[in-house]
Amino acid sequence: MSDALPELDPVIHAQARLRVVSSLSTLREGDSISFPRLQDILRMTAGNLSVHLRKLEDAGYVEVVKTHQGRTPATLVHLTRRGRLAFDDYTAALQALLTPRTDPPSGAAKPPRTEEPT
Amino acid sequence: MTEDQPPLDPAESLRIIQRERAATVRRIMPDPRLLLWPWGVAWLLGFTVFFLRYGPDDRVYVAMPRWLPSVVLLALMFAAGLISGIVGARASRQVTGLTARQGTMYGLTWAFAFSGMITVLSRLGDQLPDGLANLIWAGSLTGLTGALHMAGGAVWNDRSMFFLGAFLSVVNAVGVILGPGWHALVVAVLGGGGMLVAGLVSWLRMPR
Repeated sequence: MSDALPELDPVIHAQARLRVVSSLSTLREGDSISFPRLQDILRMTAGNLSVHLRKLEDAGYVEVVKTHQGRTPATLVHLTRRGRLAFDDYTAALQALLTPRTDPPSGAAKPPRTEEPT
Repeated sequence: MTEDQPPLDPAESLRIIQRERAATVRRIMPDPRLLLWPWGVAWLLGFTVFFLRYGPDDRVYVAMPRWLPSVVLLALMFAAGLISGIVGARASRQVTGLTARQGTMYGLTWAFAFSGMITVLSRLGDQLPDGLANLIWAGSLTGLTGALHMAGGAVWNDRSMFFLGAFLSVVNAVGVILGPGWHALVVAVLGGGGMLVAGLVSWLRMPR
């Protein structure tokens, strides 16, 4: 409660990548979404989404797997465990930033209500 | 779009997270209205037709051929099964992995359970008078539907689905105890109505 303001993860703290990671965070562990489907949900161009996925992949937050579904090639995307952790940390850091710092320690015990990332 | 820019402030970041998560959930989860309303309508109409032809104490409220109620009910249920099957399969195409596999197994459970039960009932139903045969058919299949909804609630960790299943099981048992005719009325109004309400409630509870 008296700690310094938390740092925000620069990989996630960019609008486009924040949107990608938020969307992927709704998938359950063990599930992947196809690239075109993700692109459709996020309303991004393929090139744009590729660029941001590569940056997330480089950080070890996202895994992109090229596979085949029947005869058609498919690209499947999911958050890694590390990516999920980074997203949780990022969300926690945001909430810490938004919690009034004048609160007494007991008042800070209850973070603002958010949806639980499952 | 300001792609590589950080969001303006933490509050905006949280709004982006919430908006994107809600948008994604709404796209990858099947619409509960499309899953439940076809069944609600099928039960409401199908069992009402049954009640009108096979009322309590063998009363016939509306004259029609004795085979018509079963044909109407089975056709409506077939249509509902088709719609919910397509909706479920479409949802599992969006996301691959564990959830899709669970969905396939759960879907197959319905198909196998109903086929098995219908096989048993077909052998049994011919030996019984109309009123009792209808009660055994409708009571068994409604009970099975209730149980499968409860199991589905357990599989998907979905409370409203579980409660709907429990409600259908109780409504079914009450109807069977009341007897032929009354069962059809109770299942039409409370069972079909319950499914329509459950579809609406689940839809309203989706994140937005």
